[in-house]
Amino acid sequence: MTRNLTLSALGGLFVGTAVLAFPSMAQAQGQLTVYCSVQEEWCRPMVEAFEKDTGIKVSMTRKSSGETYAQIKAEASNPKGDVWWGGTGDPHMQAAEEGLTEEYKSPNMANLQDWAVKQWSQTKGRTIGIYSGALGFAYNTKLIASKGIPEPKCWADLLDPKLKDEVQVADPNSSGTSYTMLATLVQLMGEDKAFDYMKKLHKNINQYTKSGAAPAKATSLGETTVGIAFLHDHVTMIVEGAPMKAVAPCEGTGYEIGSMSIIKGAKNLENAKKWYDWALTPKAQAMAAAARSYQVPSNKDTPIPPQSPKMADIKLIDFDFAKYGSSAERKRLLAKWDAEVKNQPK
Amino acid sequence: MKPKTAPETALWWLGLAIASYCLLPWYWIDLSNGLNVTGWPVGASGSALARGIAGSKPWLLTLLLPLGLAALALMRRGQREHRGALLALAGALGLALLLAQGFLIGLKGWNAAWAASLFGGNPTQDGLGFGGFLTLFCFLLLLCEGLAMRGFCRGDAFIVSAIGVIVTTIIIFVFFPVTRVLSQAVWGPEGWIFGTFITKITDRSIWGLDCLTSTLNCGVAWNTVFLGIFVGVMCTLLGLAFALIATRTRFPFKRALTLFSVLPIITPPFVIGLALILIFGRSGVVSNLLYEWFSIPRSRWIYGFTGISIAQILAFTPISFMMLIGVVQGIAPSLEEASQTLRASRWTTFRTITFPLLRPGLANAFLVGFIESLADFGNPLVLGGNFEVLSTKIFFAVVGSAVDESRAAILAMVLLGFTLLAFWAQQAWIGKKVYTTVVGKGDAGLPSPLPRPIAWLCGLVTIPWVIFSLALYALILVGGFVKALGRDYTPTLQHLTTAFKINLDGGPIFTGSAWDSLFATLEVALLSAPLTAAIGLMTAYLLSRQSFAGKRSFEFGTMLSFAIPGTVIGVSYILAFNVPPFELTGTGLILVICFMFRNMPVGVRAGLATLSQIDKSLDEASLTLGAGSATTLRRVILPLLRPAILASLVYSFVRAMTSVSAVIFLVSAKYNMATTYIVGRVEAGEFGIAIAYSAMLIVFMLAVILFIQLAVGERRLGRRALSTPMPTS
Amino acid sequence: MAKVKAPVEFRNVSKRYGAVTAVDDVSFRIPAGTLVTLLGPSGCGKTTTLRLIAGLEMASAGRIFIGDEDVTALSAAERDVSMVFQSYALFPHMSVLENVAYGPSVQGLKKADAEAMAAEKIRLVGLSGLEKRAPSELSGGQQQRVAVARALVLEPKVLLFDEPLSNLDAKLRRRVRDDIRQLQTDLALTVAYVTHDQEEALAVSDEIIVMSNAKIAQIGSPHALYEEPSNLFVADFIGDANIIDATLMACDGRLGTIQLGEMLLTLPHRGAQPGTIKIAARPDALTLSKDGEGLPGTVTKSSYLGKVREYTVKTALGDLFITAPGRSDAFPPQSHVVVRFTNSGIVVLPH
Repeated sequence: MTRNLTLSALGGLFVGTAVLAFPSMAQAQGQLTVYCSVQEEWCRPMVEAFEKDTGIKVSMTRKSSGETYAQIKAEASNPKGDVWWGGTGDPHMQAAEEGLTEEYKSPNMANLQDWAVKQWSQTKGRTIGIYSGALGFAYNTKLIASKGIPEPKCWADLLDPKLKDEVQVADPNSSGTSYTMLATLVQLMGEDKAFDYMKKLHKNINQYTKSGAAPAKATSLGETTVGIAFLHDHVTMIVEGAPMKAVAPCEGTGYEIGSMSIIKGAKNLENAKKWYDWALTPKAQAMAAAARSYQVPSNKDTPIPPQSPKMADIKLIDFDFAKYGSSAERKRLLAKWDAEVKNQPK
Repeated sequence: MKPKTAPETALWWLGLAIASYCLLPWYWIDLSNGLNVTGWPVGASGSALARGIAGSKPWLLTLLLPLGLAALALMRRGQREHRGALLALAGALGLALLLAQGFLIGLKGWNAAWAASLFGGNPTQDGLGFGGFLTLFCFLLLLCEGLAMRGFCRGDAFIVSAIGVIVTTIIIFVFFPVTRVLSQAVWGPEGWIFGTFITKITDRSIWGLDCLTSTLNCGVAWNTVFLGIFVGVMCTLLGLAFALIATRTRFPFKRALTLFSVLPIITPPFVIGLALILIFGRSGVVSNLLYEWFSIPRSRWIYGFTGISIAQILAFTPISFMMLIGVVQGIAPSLEEASQTLRASRWTTFRTITFPLLRPGLANAFLVGFIESLADFGNPLVLGGNFEVLSTKIFFAVVGSAVDESRAAILAMVLLGFTLLAFWAQQAWIGKKVYTTVVGKGDAGLPSPLPRPIAWLCGLVTIPWVIFSLALYALILVGGFVKALGRDYTPTLQHLTTAFKINLDGGPIFTGSAWDSLFATLEVALLSAPLTAAIGLMTAYLLSRQSFAGKRSFEFGTMLSFAIPGTVIGVSYILAFNVPPFELTGTGLILVICFMFRNMPVGVRAGLATLSQIDKSLDEASLTLGAGSATTLRRVILPLLRPAILASLVYSFVRAMTSVSAVIFLVSAKYNMATTYIVGRVEAGEFGIAIAYSAMLIVFMLAVILFIQLAVGERRLGRRALSTPMPTS
Repeated sequence: MAKVKAPVEFRNVSKRYGAVTAVDDVSFRIPAGTLVTLLGPSGCGKTTTLRLIAGLEMASAGRIFIGDEDVTALSAAERDVSMVFQSYALFPHMSVLENVAYGPSVQGLKKADAEAMAAEKIRLVGLSGLEKRAPSELSGGQQQRVAVARALVLEPKVLLFDEPLSNLDAKLRRRVRDDIRQLQTDLALTVAYVTHDQEEALAVSDEIIVMSNAKIAQIGSPHALYEEPSNLFVADFIGDANIIDATLMACDGRLGTIQLGEMLLTLPHRGAQPGTIKIAARPDALTLSKDGEGLPGTVTKSSYLGKVREYTVKTALGDLFITAPGRSDAFPPQSHVVVRFTNSGIVVLPH
């Protein structure tokens, strides 16, 4: 009897195993696995629309861009994903640098903005821009009024001693957003002046958050007066009704390029290419606004959502993604930032 | 009916091995489009025998040798020990051959250059499937049966098999992936990197002591350890206070009190942190009131050590309570009565008898609290401020803007080092003393009531704590049903309907965006919880009742995957299980396995603490009455282990529902987990939906926990409750 | 379903834990239907030996037989052996009936049948009416009897007792001891019984195995052990004995001439070689008188215990411990006496 019990317990385990052993790997014709690195509401309609347009069945997994990059890297010996869509360009470019993604030239490239094409050529065709968003800061209107300081308009305004412990930004070691700011300031001011600026700003920083978008949320809740993040993150909060105002700094600012890459060794390469071409069309790109994502699309023909920060009003720098995206330069700048800014007393 | 002897069960396993070798699909087959058996017995779904003979996979034929040896061992007559030796040899050979083939021949050919030059050719194979796994399993059991016939573990085949299966699965699912990922510390793409290893592991950002001499932060290692010890101690003390209140006082609301104390365990990640910010943050409810009423300036004190420790103590106290309550109940009242008859006061009794007998419970609760704190990354992420800990550092070394695998591996090693130290200290503190208090002699004593000052202290600590948790939970629940928590408190059901819309036209169709992940999460959690509890308690039983070589390192091994931050475990699972022979990524199975081995330590710790109180002669009495070990476990040990079963079932279920870091890399389109959905919402700034979903999860988990509590039931120790009068006999 | 009772046999069995040897090359046989006691001081290996029979420990070397079957590598559950534990090991979560019915029910019997068997054994040990009680609601003696009933219920080939009386008070001990012996003879059980109490061992056993330092010191009937201890350890451990240095002068057939101080005694030499030897003299084998032939001495201690009087007498051969009937004349301390050696109760220790 004891044996029977053991056996039936083991049997149960096997049945359970069998139930779960159905892989969701899409290998057969007519399938595609997409790693999506924007928010769920944007990923889902994209997938549904693509399935409807092409009849290809899509398995979609949503993860942040850093996580997706780590996953693609870990899976490199036997890739499970086909195409990586969305997410800030930084990890896409790292993946390209490490040869984790496939070169591809889409027939739909003609109508793309210059920055999108430039990124494509800088990565030897391995990744391409699908949207972009400018860096900026936002302030909590209630708090700024109660402090009686003029509304900040420029990077320089953030050094106001009255803003001591009132500015929040992410740690560039953990957040691509914050690294974009670091690189932007270096390009905007020159390296020495940029680090001088950041050392001064350090005295006003209350917290280096881990996540890039956290300062936007903190500003909306009044946990900090000023938060530095991408403008579209601020806009998301403002649309929800937060008492805050987004600012594109007067000196000029950098931007991110949301990107797309085909994973090297993709099991459904042809379908991945179909997705790639389709995702560059205005029809696909127009779905962003419905998902409350207010970035600027890369196809010139895509209508720009009215809530989006007007790119025309923003003084954009000519961001050198090739230089500041390379791992050597990144390591050097981050080490310097750790030593000269973060580890300094306030 | 006597239990069958080893050779008979061994025969059974041999039969199964032969059947799976000859009939079942050897390799992994894609079942997502239904079972496709074209070409069987050859072809993609073919059996090992058929494919070996057909010539495409000739190496599979070598497995006939161990199968034949096992048959020889079982058929021939002779002394039991000699046949056992041959059977064990056959099992070991089968295991070795199968694993060697699996690791040497991969998807794209030979995995090792020396093998390619030795054997030549370019053979390829997929990951193991049903046939492969089953045969592997049978070889393992044949090895164990053989060893049992040789007299291992008192000749008990069930025990040998249990040890064999658990040790093997821990090697495959813990040691293998963990060493895979940790080897990145010293092995980079360009070969050995000892130089950078030394530089990185001695880095000042890890070990710096600047905070002692200046206003700068100390190294993360010190932060982490200090936080871990503080949280571990506080959780243990709070858990003890709750356990004492629940068992040793006549406090009128103690049932409600203990129920609410368990609440925080069922909270999804980020939610406690967020709620704390909304209460104590600079614009939080309490801070506002303090400012308006007493003009106490608002500050950001919640960010940093204070906030993280509050959130972690909230989150980890319930498990410490659940581990301790069984231990407190188990203490034999007569020991305390003996002390009192020796004219010791209640206080002296508590100090010299009760408290020392609690040691195994306290030590295990501390260990769990300490390790949980070390591995937790959600709370430091939200509340950390400028206070950095190893787990967040590791997380961002894996997915941050400056990816550095070797640094992540090195930091994980530091973390493991601390765990090892804590484990060692815990063993030393428990010592070799005897804590047996549940013996096979009826104990007619009355549990001694708590000394008054301690009862008051427990009350003073726990009641405000429960009120605090309740306030937090009220806020969280409110958060799901107002427009924007912390800003706009207009009631709305919009968040809930976005996530959980049910279309009732033509039968209920779950159209809300969160249903898929909820169902997948429930499925995985409900399946993994009993498996986790079973393997954890079985391991505890083996550790406390059996002696075998390498027991201590085995015990430490069970804690490895618990102590390493989930991010690292996630990556390690991809590295280890994305390629043959164990190709499991993309399935729900990998999630279940990950949860099992990550959460089993709580079952092990709770089981060990409770088992240390139970007299071994109870098991032995059962064995000599002809009950096999399996029956003894079921009828004698498990009923006495109920508190530990409850603790580990609840814990593993809840952790499967709420853990986030480990699963982020393991989720797939079909098996998306609730927490990754929630984290996605939090990242997108949609706290309303995240909280509404969390509230929904809390309701589900409460229901399941209540069900588990009912199903497991109370332990009967034949002890008298504090309030029952003496029987008049 | 009375089964044939089986003998137990140890052939050169050893049990080692690392460097420690708990049982060292032990061989013995427990004949079917007899009660054999394993007797010895703490740590002598007697409990380990008992556990080796039960299968709760596995032998490191040697072979163990129960009946004709070699059980050396069989697990406890596979051996037809039951055990009564020192702590009783009653399952605290089960009632008396459930405890006793446990054995048959795990053998796959129907619940009703198992409980019928259990009820019969509960009656046998005289506990009818207490079936529904929890173990904690019984007295120590009652719990002990539940433990015995539980062990008996399967009518095992061999029944083992591990110090079953150590938790009982002195009066109860005697009664339970007699009950156990009665039960054993009535049912003709093969019993191995561990104790460290020599009186208990003498009272219940057909045969006693005395163990010392992991080895067997002597095997024999109670009478043989008491009257003819084969070595110093047994003589000292079983009952009280005066161990006295002596010289074996000459041997003649079975007998030898022994010089004891000034005296000469004629005793069986039991294989001892001429030269210095030791003899053991039971306290009741020595008598005291005011005067006459014998060994002169001085009483240093005298106590009256009702049934007997105990004396310590200082003599040229050392201090001697002597008992006399309680109703004999008393010798107060400091009185001069003569010690006389009787013919029985004095033996040569061959080793």
